[in-house]
Formats: sequence, C-alpha cells, structure tokens
Amino acid sequence: MTNGARDENVTLEALCRGDVRTCARLLTRIERGEEAVIPLLQALYRAGGNGRVIGVTGPPGAGKSSLISCLIGAWRRRGLRVAVLAIDPSSPFTGGAVLGDRLRMVEHGCDDGVFIRSMASRGQLGGLARAAGDALTVLEAMPWDVILVETVGVGQNETDIMRHAAVVVLLQTPLGGDEVQAVKAGIIEIGDVYVVNKSDHPAADRTCRQLREMIARGSRLRPDRDWQPPVIKTQAHLGVGVAELVDAIDGCFAHQNADPEAARRYMSDRARHRIGEILRDRLDRRLRSGDEGWLEGSIEPVVSREKDPYTVVAEMLSRL
Amino acid sequence: MSAGQGKKVIVSMIGLDGHTTGGEIVARILRDAGIEVVYLGCNQTPEMIVRAAIQEDVDLIGISSHASNYGQIVSLVELLKRNGAEDVPVVCGGNVPKHQARLLIEKGVAAVFPPGSGADSIIRFVLGNARGATAGLCVNGEGIA
Amino acid sequence: MMKRATDYGYAIKPVYTPEDIAELDYRRDLGEPGAFPYTRGYHPEGYRSRMWTQRMTAGLGTSRDANLVLKKYREMGQRGGMCVISDRVFSSCIDVDHPLGRREAGVLGWPGCSLLEFEELMEDIPLTGQSITLLGSCAPTTLRLAYVVALAEKRGDDLSKIHGSVLESPFENYFGQTDVQPFDLNLKLFLDASEYVIRNRIRMRAAIISQHFQESGGNNAQALALEMAMLKELCTLLVTERGLDFDDVATLPYELVSIGTRFFEEIAKVRALRRMWARLAREHFKAKKEKSCHLLIAAHTSGRTMTYQQPLNNIVRCAIQTLAGAIVGATAIDNATLDNAHAEPSPLAARMSLNTQHIVAYETGAADVVDPLAGSYFVEALTDEVEREAYAILARIEEMGGMIAALDRGVVQDMLREEAAKRFREIDTGERLVVGVNHLVMPPEEEFEIPVQELPPGDSEGIARRMEEWKKTRDLPLVAARLSRLHTDAGKGDRFNLMPAIIDAVKAYATAGEIFGVIRMARGLSYDPFNMIECPFALQ
Repeated sequence: MTNGARDENVTLEALCRGDVRTCARLLTRIERGEEAVIPLLQALYRAGGNGRVIGVTGPPGAGKSSLISCLIGAWRRRGLRVAVLAIDPSSPFTGGAVLGDRLRMVEHGCDDGVFIRSMASRGQLGGLARAAGDALTVLEAMPWDVILVETVGVGQNETDIMRHAAVVVLLQTPLGGDEVQAVKAGIIEIGDVYVVNKSDHPAADRTCRQLREMIARGSRLRPDRDWQPPVIKTQAHLGVGVAELVDAIDGCFAHQNADPEAARRYMSDRARHRIGEILRDRLDRRLRSGDEGWLEGSIEPVVSREKDPYTVVAEMLSRL
Repeated sequence: MSAGQGKKVIVSMIGLDGHTTGGEIVARILRDAGIEVVYLGCNQTPEMIVRAAIQEDVDLIGISSHASNYGQIVSLVELLKRNGAEDVPVVCGGNVPKHQARLLIEKGVAAVFPPGSGADSIIRFVLGNARGATAGLCVNGEGIA
Repeated sequence: MMKRATDYGYAIKPVYTPEDIAELDYRRDLGEPGAFPYTRGYHPEGYRSRMWTQRMTAGLGTSRDANLVLKKYREMGQRGGMCVISDRVFSSCIDVDHPLGRREAGVLGWPGCSLLEFEELMEDIPLTGQSITLLGSCAPTTLRLAYVVALAEKRGDDLSKIHGSVLESPFENYFGQTDVQPFDLNLKLFLDASEYVIRNRIRMRAAIISQHFQESGGNNAQALALEMAMLKELCTLLVTERGLDFDDVATLPYELVSIGTRFFEEIAKVRALRRMWARLAREHFKAKKEKSCHLLIAAHTSGRTMTYQQPLNNIVRCAIQTLAGAIVGATAIDNATLDNAHAEPSPLAARMSLNTQHIVAYETGAADVVDPLAGSYFVEALTDEVEREAYAILARIEEMGGMIAALDRGVVQDMLREEAAKRFREIDTGERLVVGVNHLVMPPEEEFEIPVQELPPGDSEGIARRMEEWKKTRDLPLVAARLSRLHTDAGKGDRFNLMPAIIDAVKAYATAGEIFGVIRMARGLSYDPFNMIECPFALQ
C-alpha cells in the first residue's frame, strides 16, 4: 500500500465516522480545485450515497436561510443529523464574498448534529457546480441523514446545482410585485415543492394562485411526470407552515420511492448530469491549462483554414 | 485577481453585543480585498464561533467589539486552543481601551484595531497573518490532522 | 482633495446670497416661533420660558451602583431629569443568571431584569418632579413601563404626575443596535405599551428616533426621511389598529436627534424636522390640536464623531455640537463625550459633559434668543435642501408601502450599509478630515491616557448569583400563576394588549427572561431565544 492510499483510507474512515474537521479541510481543497483530492473523491463516491439531498432555492430576500433554520430544527427534533451547503455569489470584481447564510441559522450553532458550510461561487465557469457536486460527494459519504444545498435562485450555475438534489424546494415571496420571480429567473421547471414564504403578506394568496396555475400548465407539458408539486405557505420567522413543508418533502421522497421506475430515472439523470459536469470541467481545465500537447496537429489546420473548428471537434469526439 | 483570493475569514460580534455597523464595514473591506467573509452577525458565543471556524475552515477570526465584554474574546482564544485550532488567529476591532487591548494581546489576541484604523492596515494584517495554506488533511502524504 | 459637500452629498457653495432663498416665504415656510409650521420652534420665548433638560446618562454595575451615581448627579445639579441606560442583558430580555447574561450583567449599563432592580435603582430618588428616562432597546419597553407603574403604585405616587420616556420603537433593531427578540414581537409589544400609556394618560414618551440610524452611519437627509417614515407608520398603526385618536397619539413620540460636528447642517436638519412633522400632523393626520404639530426633540451629541485618538479633542467636538443643539432649541440634551470611543462615561467625562452644557447655556448667550440663525441665506438654503432630499427618500419608501415594507425588502438596511461604507471610505481616503485620525495624527505613545470607567471582572457573576438566590425567595406559586395568565393572554392575538398581564407579573417579581419567555412560547417560539435554558414553570 502506498503512503497516499493509506492516508486516503484514514481520511475515508474519518469521514465515515462523521469527523467534521476532516470534512471541512477536504471541502477547502475541493473549493481550491486541487487535483490531488480526486482519488479520494473517487473512493468517497463509491462509498457514498447516504442521506437525502434536498435543494432549496429562491430569490435573494425570500427567506431561504431562515426557512432552512426551521427545517433543521424540525429534522433535529426527529433525531436526524443535518448538513447544509450554503452557496452565495462571489463579487465578480474582486473575487471576495460576504457569506451571510450562517447568520440566520444561529440557533443551531452549538449542535453537534448540524454541520453548516458556506461556499462562495467564486465565479468560475461551471467550476461552482463541479465543486458543489464534489462537496456533496463528501457529505453523502458521511453519516448525515439530510443534506441541504442552498443557492440564490438566479442563473444557470444555481439551476445546475439543483440537479444534484433529489427534491428541490423553490421559495417565493409575495413581495416581488405582480410577477412571480421564478418566471423571470426561468427556474420554474425545477421545483418539486413550492413555498410562498412571508405568507401573511396581503399578496400571498395571489402568488400561490399564480404558482398553482403555472404548475398546472407545466404538468400538461410534462405528462411523464406524475408528481404534482404542492404549494405550501410559510412564515419562517414564526415557524408557521414548517411541519407541512417537512411532510411535503417526505411525501415527495415517498412518491419517488414508490415508483422504482421513476427512482431509477432520477438516479440515472443525476449520474448523467454529474458525468457531463465533470467532463465539461476537465475539458475546460485542459483548455485553460496552457498545455496544448493534446491538441497537437489540430490547431494549425484551423489557423490556415484548411479545416473548420467543427470538423476538428467532431473528430475529437468520435475518438472519445 | 485580488490579493485575498482563497483566504476565508470569520467576522462576528460576540456575546450580547448588538452593534453591527463596524463588523459590516470590515466585512465589506475584506470582501473588496478578495477575501471570503463568513459573516456571523450578533449573538454568537465563543463556543459557536469556534464551531463555525472549524466547519468553515477559516484562516482568521475577526471580532468586532462595542460592548466591553472582553472576557468573551479571551474565552474564544482559549477555546480555540482547546480545540486544536490555535493556528487560527483572532483579531479584534472596536472601542477597546488601551489597557484592555494590551491585556487581550497578552492573552493571545493577534491584534487590536481601534476605531479610525484604515482599511489598508486591516487588510495588510489579515493577509499577512491569516493561517497559511491548509495543511493537515491526510491525503497523498501531505500533513496529518 | 477635501470634500466640500453636505453629509448627504450636495455641493456647498463658497457664498450664499438672497437668490438662494428667493422662494422662501416667511409666513408659509418659517412662521414666528410658536406658530405653524414651527420651523423656528414651539415656544415664542424659547429657553427664556424653559431651559433645556441637561442630563447625563448613568448605568454601570449593580442597581445600587447606578443609584449612587444618580444621586451624585442630583447633587451636581442635574434635577430636571434622570437618564439610565440598560445593559445588554436586560436589553435582550434575558436574565442576568442566564448562561450568556451572567457574562455581561452590568457591563454596559444597568442590569434591570426585575422590579427589585428598579426599586434599588430609584431608592431615595423621586419618580415625580423630574423626567424619568430609561434607555435600552425596544424589547424591554413593556417592562420598563411596568416597573414605573408598579413602583408608583407602591409609593402612592399619582401616575399622571410622572413623566419621561421609557418606550423605544422596534426599528432600532435594524439600525445597528440589535436585540435578540424578533421584530414582529417587538412591534406588537411596542404598540401595547403605547396604547396603554395613551389610554391611561400617562405622560410617558416613546423614542421613535433616528439617532441609532445616524450613529450607525446614516446621513442627515436619510435620518429625516426615516424619522418621518417611522412616525407615520407607527402613528397610523395606533390610529387604525388600536383605534386611538391621532391627537392623543401625537403626545407619544419623541425624536432623539443625533447632532454631529457639521454645525450648520445639523441646525438645518432639526429646523426641517419640525416643519416636516407639523405638516405631516396637520395635512396627513388631520390634527385637530395645535399641540399635535409639535414633536418633542431631544439632542444627543454624536458618539460616532467622538474619536478614539486624542480623546481630549472630543471635548471641543461636544461643545460645538451642544451649541448646535441649543441654537436649534432642543428640549433636552445629553452628551456623548470625551471617552465615548473607549468606555461608558467616567466621572470626569460626565462632569465635562455637564460643564459643557452649562457653558453653552449661561456663558455664550445662545439661549437668550430663539432660532438665532433664521434668515441666514446659508442656513435657510440648507434647511430647504435637506428637507427636499428627505422628502425624495420618503417618497421612495412610501412607494414600497412604508417603513415596514421597505425593511422587509431590505432597502433601508442596504441604504444604511452603503452610507456607512461611504462614510468610512471618505475618512479612509482623506476626503473628510478628522483631527487625530487622518489629520494631525500623533504617535500613540505620546497620547494622553484618559481615565476609563469599567466594571471590575467578577462583578457580573456577582449580579448573576444575587439574582439566582433571590429568585428562590419569591412567592413562587404567585409568580407561576401570573406567568400562566400572561401566557394565556399572549395567545389571544396581536391586538390583545399584554400590558395589564405584564404589570401583574412584574409586581409579583417575575423577571425579564421569564416574562419574555412565556410570551415567546405563546407565539410558538422557544422560551429562551438562545435555546440554552428551558421554562422553569409549569404553565396552566
């Protein structure tokens, strides 16, 4: 056994035991895109798959973090251990970020059964989704019963991350005015459970109605999907509606499990997505690496216009 | 790419201190220097801050203090030590009287920034003193936790 | 390059002439002192009829410690009113024997977690004949009021003879002065206390104030706009939800305005404030009484401007600000002074603060004439300008549906954050000069060290132990019964006034943590906001 492999085993065991510090350090290395962690991630993937992965997304200010805090409380009362991956955008100008999600989960700050990790999107092309996917690989190999991933519900990156989750909770607030924000963001298709938070607002009922109409239209477009996403009203600051939301999430999992065909479809969708993500990421890294040996012989004909780039790419793909 | 790239720090108030302005300004300054800031806000106990530091794997902890509760900052330093995280420096900013600042430094606080400190001096200190590359993960023979 | 602009960013010209106030109509825009729109003040005689209340803040260590300080202040000549600030424990409505409370009891103010503490604070000090001001945060508003009511009853004082201010608005939570209780609970209890005061004709004022907003970095125009937005929202709620008459509601609010060193702008701000409130009261709320157009305005010399470096300079700043407060006709003035950036006021700082007020009041002649800067081209132009800018901000807030709606969207918080960051940047880059900080800087070792007032370590634990022991000596079945009633009442919806049940619980010596704990439980929250302790009573 090599040193590397032995250390890998130690880390693997530590993670399987639920060692938070090992997990935290590994997540840092994943965020930095260190190639050296890949063998470990491979082992973790094979060992993993524990825990339910639930995505929570919605526009800024919708109350995601407060609602997650309530959900954590509800699951903790049932004795479940919860991990949270909270993703916030980085500043496109400086790369810095203020990660403020943890602040709304303050009541779980001293609970050993809760792990919270903030992650900055770091603005990498696709890199965020890759890092988040790897982070989930780590968390899924650990003894967490529930793994929550939270993103700001805007942009392709965030939508991509939600494809790692078995159940996606899409949060809305009635404060957005006439139009439901999800429509603007173009993420209406991805929700399994819809939540209208701040439901004491006078416009809450209208927002619920709009969502139900949209869901009805959506299900006509996707007859393969027999799950009818419910719309739940909550007031996160009072804990109102949280029990209903937990039930709805459970219901969605039960629905998936009851239909082995659907479950398989979800699992293969997720695997396909993950493969594609890693493929794009590896390709991207190679293209940006400056090491163009693997493109040997392909560049020159394109420069001289003997060949067009489409032909070259088609040749490469056929070799794959 | 900014100097702070890849550095991650906590900015927090401690104990019952409810004054958020200073902490928010510092969080912004550090963000604008390219640093990732986990902002914990108010009502954080030393125990919670230590847990956050470990889970978030941060390189430095900044405490904004406007409530004369220095004992809690000392507890934080001690608690980090007890949890094997003494390599995460604690920096404090706020209206800390001079003799208290001296006392905090004696107890292991890395620096105390009084009101009126410039952004440059804060950033320079954070970048110069934040924990280095994350050692300690047992992968491929690099460092053992 | 030094910036020559108002704090809200408008360029200042080298000279002002009649053209700058060409639009000014004396009767319409200013009026005589004592006449609508009250730009020049509410009293025709100004300070000749009544000098401003000169007060210094007390509160550090035990209640008995604070009592001694208050008595000392009275000896020093502070007779018009007393002002006590709460510690962070009482401000959070937990008890001093709470695991977090015991670390900070009495550290930053008065640990007033039960009626016992208030009785000790007020020993040998009259409740009447002076204004009683208890500062802290919004959450303990109902408790502070209940203490006053309960002690007055015990002493046989006529409640209608007591005046002062113990109520604070729930908006401070958003202005960098956070307490741990949720906004909706704070709002509900603030309205309860306000309604109780108004219906029972108790002359207790509510701080609906812009001070914290400005001390946290907001500018003058924003402070005016938010002051109007807060007043409008809270007065509307009291009229529509609590069924009160506006002319009664108008006796409730007072504004504590933060006065900085930009002398003329500060004076313009307060003049504009009087005019804006008068118009809001008359035109929007249709005030029937002339008195409803008067907003009680107290001034606080700005803690934000007091520097850590070269603290003696702060005496000069405080004097300039106090003079502005006097020129503008503030009803009461309290000072942030030389050690503000270091600790709670030391006896030396308190003495300097009182001296400063007396120098301004009796040596400068500023108190002899009402609104002496009226008619100044510069000051009148500034008054109009800050008012215009404030109305523009107010319009944006109104468009969103008012103050609470704007807070829900995070707009006000963002506004404050941006402004605070800008203020920091201006000093950081030297656009604004601050002596001792970025101008005429002195090496730290040459600095004069001022005396600093602190609570000796261990005293907090002593305060905590005392409460722990004392709690057991109470009539526990009575406490439990009163708390049970409160718990039941708290489940009756937001409009059901909890003041009577809170007063009863306070009289039975139920504590801040216990009273808030059971109210929280009735609202589906945890007994302890920090989730560290459980409710020790079995509620029926």
